[in-house]
Amino acid sequence: MIGIIAGREVRSALVTPLPWILLGGGQVVLSWIFLKVVDDFAGLEADERVASLTLELTLNLFGFAAVILMLAAPLMAMRMLSGELRDGSFELVAAAPVRIGQLVIGKYLALVGLMTPLCLLPILNLAWIAGIADLDPGQVAAATLGLWLAGLMFCSVGLYASSLSTQPGASVLVAFSILLVFSIIGRAESLATPGLSLFGWLSWNEHLFWFLAGAVRASDIAYFLSFAGVFLALSHRRLSNRYLQ
Amino acid sequence: MEILARAIDLSRRFGRYPALSGLDFELRQGEVLGLLGPNGAGKTTCLRLLSGGLHPSRGKIEILGIDLSRRPVAAKRHLGYLPERPPLYPELRVDEYLRHCARLHRVPRRGVKEAVAEAKRRCGLDGVGRQLIAKLSKGFRQRLGIAQAILHRPRLLILDEPTEGLDPVQTREVRALIRELSKDSGIILSSHVLPEVQAVCDRVLVLHHGRLLRSEHLSAAPRAGLCRVRVAGAVDPGQMARLPCVEAAIALGEGRYRMILTEGATSGDLARQIVGAGLELHELGPERPDLERVFFDLIGAGDPA
Repeated sequence: MIGIIAGREVRSALVTPLPWILLGGGQVVLSWIFLKVVDDFAGLEADERVASLTLELTLNLFGFAAVILMLAAPLMAMRMLSGELRDGSFELVAAAPVRIGQLVIGKYLALVGLMTPLCLLPILNLAWIAGIADLDPGQVAAATLGLWLAGLMFCSVGLYASSLSTQPGASVLVAFSILLVFSIIGRAESLATPGLSLFGWLSWNEHLFWFLAGAVRASDIAYFLSFAGVFLALSHRRLSNRYLQ
Repeated sequence: MEILARAIDLSRRFGRYPALSGLDFELRQGEVLGLLGPNGAGKTTCLRLLSGGLHPSRGKIEILGIDLSRRPVAAKRHLGYLPERPPLYPELRVDEYLRHCARLHRVPRRGVKEAVAEAKRRCGLDGVGRQLIAKLSKGFRQRLGIAQAILHRPRLLILDEPTEGLDPVQTREVRALIRELSKDSGIILSSHVLPEVQAVCDRVLVLHHGRLLRSEHLSAAPRAGLCRVRVAGAVDPGQMARLPCVEAAIALGEGRYRMILTEGATSGDLARQIVGAGLELHELGPERPDLERVFFDLIGAGDPA
């Protein structure tokens, strides 16, 4: 049943322009950043370079790809619940012998499937210089994994926000606000008691940084997966309160 | 006959507003039950509760003896539901959509093709299988909504205003379809079109302000001994009442009369006697229960005429 729901979501999304616009727009922006980083790096003398080309690329290219994902995931999630609640098509699954858990996981997997090509855009750009520059494949793989894990979290936040409102625009704003709060919350650390790193730990970009630097840490993987799980559970709760399934 | 659906003290509040209060009813195999009421009477709320799309605030729903609150997935296997707005995905083609619905309703993979073809045939969708749903007319969308509700052959069919948006020919076809479907299943439908309810339902629940006002059996057979006639010109009601087979005649105006016949008399006797009395008979028909009169009396809206 999960596969049936996910398959329909992916099919429906691919015949709408949104994922293609996000892919195309994302590629244009990332390729511009890629060219700028490579150009700046090439313009420096060897002793002026403070970081390797791989690190420059992962921090800038993958870092900006995360921001694009932060916008893209709520946009793709908005039609999955919020749009269906508004159009009345949600009544179809509400009256079908489908569990809420199957429904949430099906929609989430579809969202992850649609988000994954966006996570691969930075690697696509790196392929241009794969043969001519000495890139660290391990660091690039770690950065891609980090980006994808952050995408998992963004998708679950997007899906949760989508379950909150019958107005897709409002659900996008809610998701974006949540993600923005978890992005800047790390800056509150300086305001809190010195040594207390809770705010820093809550911030997703702090965890993504370690992946971009080439370090795959279990605590960072646990952070992204547990946040994704929490927001999926909240989506489940939200729909269970509304429907008998 | 087997009880397909049972509602016990069914209530639903939206905040402080009681949309439905203490509704009790049963639906049996082969029965078509109509929910009748003005806008805001609680018809759609009742159907959404029955379909499992809404939690009841109080009360219980059983579908084939299965508690919908406790075992919703098991209960919903026997359900087909057409909401007020057909639940369609405009970006899909008709065949894709119906195949998805079949899989969603757990039709075995091998039976999907046959189920889709059968639902399309019954709802007159044979020629539009490849069309995008977004490009269908309102009538075809409504038919597609009915097709998704029936394609898994549910024992209980819930239809919210099934003929909404259909032209007169399609309306007649859908009414015939409902009668045909009722042979194998029980059907609950809502409508605010009185002749429609009268045409297809065996029983009607009249709702008003979320409360059940009356449960009325609509017998297709005319009430014995009651006829309605129309004769030419102005005729004295006394003359009509003096006919041997007539016990009483009530003038309805413009040459129309409601006739109460004596025991054993038939409409044939009445026709012969009217003609024998030198009157010109224009119409003679059975007197059916007047749902419109019952409805307006119950909701307190007075006589529409």
